[in-house]
Amino acid sequence: MRQRRWLIVLMSPLALWLGLLFLAPLATMVVFTFRAGSFGPEHDVFTLENYRTFFGNPVYGRLLLSSAWISFVASVLSILLAYPLAYYLAFQAGAHRLTLLLVIIVPAWISFLLRVFAWKLILGSGGLLNIVLMAAGLVDEPAPILLYSRSAVIVALVYSYMPFVALPIFVALQRIDRSLIEAASDLGGTGWQTFRDVILPLSMPGVAAAFFLIFIPTLGEYVTPLLLGGTDGLMFGNVIQSQFARALNWPLGSLMSLAVLLFTLALLAVFVRLTRLEDWVQG
Amino acid sequence: MIRHTKLWNRIAFVAAIWLAIVLPAACSQPAADMGAAGAAQETQAEADSLTVLDWAGYDAPEFWTQFAQTYPDVEVDYTYFEQDADALAKLQSGFRVDLVHPCSSWWGLYVDAGLVQPIDTSRLKNWPDVVPEMAKLGEFDGQQYFVPWDWGYESILVRTDKVEELPASWADLWDPAYAGRLSIPDSAEVAQVMAAVALDIPNPWQTTPEEDALIKQKLLDIKPNVLTYWTDASELSQMMASGDVWVAASVWTDTYSQLMADGVPVEYIDPAEGRLGWVCGYGISSNAQAPDLAYAYLDAILDPESIVNLSNQFFYGTSNRKAFELADPALVSLFKLDQPDVLQQTVFYQTMSAEHRQKITEMWDEVRLAP
Repeated sequence: MRQRRWLIVLMSPLALWLGLLFLAPLATMVVFTFRAGSFGPEHDVFTLENYRTFFGNPVYGRLLLSSAWISFVASVLSILLAYPLAYYLAFQAGAHRLTLLLVIIVPAWISFLLRVFAWKLILGSGGLLNIVLMAAGLVDEPAPILLYSRSAVIVALVYSYMPFVALPIFVALQRIDRSLIEAASDLGGTGWQTFRDVILPLSMPGVAAAFFLIFIPTLGEYVTPLLLGGTDGLMFGNVIQSQFARALNWPLGSLMSLAVLLFTLALLAVFVRLTRLEDWVQG
Repeated sequence: MIRHTKLWNRIAFVAAIWLAIVLPAACSQPAADMGAAGAAQETQAEADSLTVLDWAGYDAPEFWTQFAQTYPDVEVDYTYFEQDADALAKLQSGFRVDLVHPCSSWWGLYVDAGLVQPIDTSRLKNWPDVVPEMAKLGEFDGQQYFVPWDWGYESILVRTDKVEELPASWADLWDPAYAGRLSIPDSAEVAQVMAAVALDIPNPWQTTPEEDALIKQKLLDIKPNVLTYWTDASELSQMMASGDVWVAASVWTDTYSQLMADGVPVEYIDPAEGRLGWVCGYGISSNAQAPDLAYAYLDAILDPESIVNLSNQFFYGTSNRKAFELADPALVSLFKLDQPDVLQQTVFYQTMSAEHRQKITEMWDEVRLAP
């Protein structure tokens, strides 16, 4: 009894925090989607006009799908790239493990904007790649390579989020009981068989966590597509940003934000269902 | 121990009540009408401080040394905004300032929402020298609500070493010769005006549905030429200097002069349809606490000796004709201020209704997201 009371006391700041800074704003956002304007008399008018605008215009739905595709590709690529890295750290790096881990994380300490902007300097006309290609005689005139396109956005997203992907996979690999690996080789399993049947399944919770860690934030990205996306690499975050920062239309902006939120939740629900995530986490 | 727990429960309860009721009430207080205590504070505040909601950088001491000399005891507090939408949102949510500095296409929204008060121009001794074309933009229903202060051109900037034939008009930007080397700003407002000007549409700020359809098609037509949309001047500078972008639309004069200073071969075009022109200016907030100081400040920064610093140090235009004579000759020729009809030829951004802004934002989304 006493313990329970203490629990309530200890939990109340957290509950207050979540309520005030998460649930209340979320509720405000939902209410805003029914308003006719951001301020003034229109602020108090109830309307479904925003829903009509949003669902009546196919570009928004299409953009949501193409943004999800960009995020999905970026997530899969970063997992493919980060897995061997995490594997090396967990099983091969030995005493240098911590140092190498630090090396992976350090770039994340630099301003996000700078790291995105750096890609312009690498891929641009006067950039590193062009200098190398010119010197090798492969191109005659410098031109932006890959830059200002959907591919550039994916490349930069993979680069930016890789450290966050490597960490959960590393932790999952690290936690694998080494005696299981020994048992596998005692039973005559080859290196590949051990990896496929023992290590990979046991590391799947880490891989799933990594996927969520990159898929969700990249879906809301707007800086990277703004700087590198050109005319075909825009993402959903960009239209939300222009509703808030340019058009001053908070109601429509709120509806768009809500749409991303619900869309992400729905995708995750499907994903969890398809991959039987609970089994991995419990298993 | 149990008594202790009760105490904590009570504290948490009181804290929750306080957070839920007292805090929001306290926060909304300034937005509501001030009571008697507020009125007393108001007169006192008038004597010692002035609050200006401004763009970053406009707090430079050169602009208001005169004011500081006349009112040495007055503290000038600057608060900043990044986008016009932010400034309007701040005032709409009850933020108290004396002066606010939005740009012309937003002025009407302030007047409609009652956020600014009419300005008695007879109280400004520098008012007769303000350029009439710009003053007109701040006039609503026969009353002056905004005092134009700074302005500049938005035109086409070209890398002369990369482009064989320089564009002579806005309409030339559609020339396939610039395919994949053009950058236009990621702004519904600029894109719409640019297309309207190229199409020879007389008033881009009040368009018919037929004109809207033409403008949208025109913007869809320019996409094959567009390499990327630029969002900020320093980003554009980098893309022009590196050679990614050869032709850029709606570029300000400060970017041009900076690239020239860096030795990048660029030319600032004088398009046949006229350059676009932005104008920003100050309005006095309806709930200003120190309106007299606001007038004094406005008059001081309008003074030719003060305002000319804007030209000579920041490469922007000034709204005071007398300051044209004091300005750096290089700037005078860049701004073509020596040509008498230059301001009549410039297409200044007019005020825009919220509906029009919403309409063009949606149009711009459709253009940007078209496959």
